[in-house]
Amino acid sequence: MITTILAMACVTFATRYLFLAKQLPFTIGPKLQRFLSFSAPCVLTAIWVPIVFIQDEQLALSVHNPYLIAATFAVILAYRFKNLYITTLGSLVLFYLLY
Amino acid sequence: MKVAVYKGFWDMLPLNLAVLPWGILCGSLAVQNGFTPLEAQLMSLLVFAGSAQLVAIELIAKDTALITLLITTFIISARHLLYGLAIRNKMVDKPLKWRSSIAFFLTDELFAFSHHHRAYQGKLRLLYALVAGGSFYVAWNLWTLIGIIAGQFLPDLTNLGLDFAIAAIFIALVIPSITTVPILCACICSAISILIFKLVHFEFGLIASALLGMTVGYLLQSYKERT
Repeated sequence: MITTILAMACVTFATRYLFLAKQLPFTIGPKLQRFLSFSAPCVLTAIWVPIVFIQDEQLALSVHNPYLIAATFAVILAYRFKNLYITTLGSLVLFYLLY
Repeated sequence: MKVAVYKGFWDMLPLNLAVLPWGILCGSLAVQNGFTPLEAQLMSLLVFAGSAQLVAIELIAKDTALITLLITTFIISARHLLYGLAIRNKMVDKPLKWRSSIAFFLTDELFAFSHHHRAYQGKLRLLYALVAGGSFYVAWNLWTLIGIIAGQFLPDLTNLGLDFAIAAIFIALVIPSITTVPILCACICSAISILIFKLVHFEFGLIASALLGMTVGYLLQSYKERT
């Protein structure tokens, strides 16, 4: 069992470390860097969107979906205040009022 | 120095708290599936990857072949390759101790705080990332420990809606970073494609939708600069 866990740890660490290795002989040019500059917004979007829009493996585009209503409010708060705590706490309160 | 430590801690705190149900689940599920408490804790201490841990626990319990387990782990972890690539230019000239420690802590959660164009530049920003990533590691292991000790007495906390908290935090981080039309279109493209991929259960959906969105962003940005 310990061997299995160590092997898994090697896989997860390798995926995180690979492109930070100096030995890897390549440099990222301006074009690739521009492409990569979109990675954070795109990945973050791809993580939160399914939580909000998919319920029980179905698309939940309904006003009765508390995730959707509270997330809309979170988008407004984030746009207006640009503050992690205001957006998170504000939308969480609305979410639990509806939940 | 102090400011970097405080900011790293406070920025990551909401996510540290929001993942509590899943940390507990990782601990209790492992013990229920025949892991010793030490092995269950080692999963979080060494593997340190929530979704990969949950899937692996079930596969190990079903006596899946090691190679299948490792391939599955790789598929779930493949997105980290993209994270490493995205911060390579900022990190590659740093000493090994910084690169290896930041890499070890490079979760979705830490990457969410890596977007700033000056992220990882200078000792203070590296320290900030280390504190943010490290506090997430400590929290994740603490929740796992609670799951190992008290999992059998606790109800399932993953249906309490804390997944909304995670979504809200990511919204709070991504919306202010949408400053141009290409970034907006890139996000919309990723959003639509991840929904389609999820509904058809495509395993590489996360990374595929990210790459699609990035392509749209890149093309629009290049077009904008040519005209």
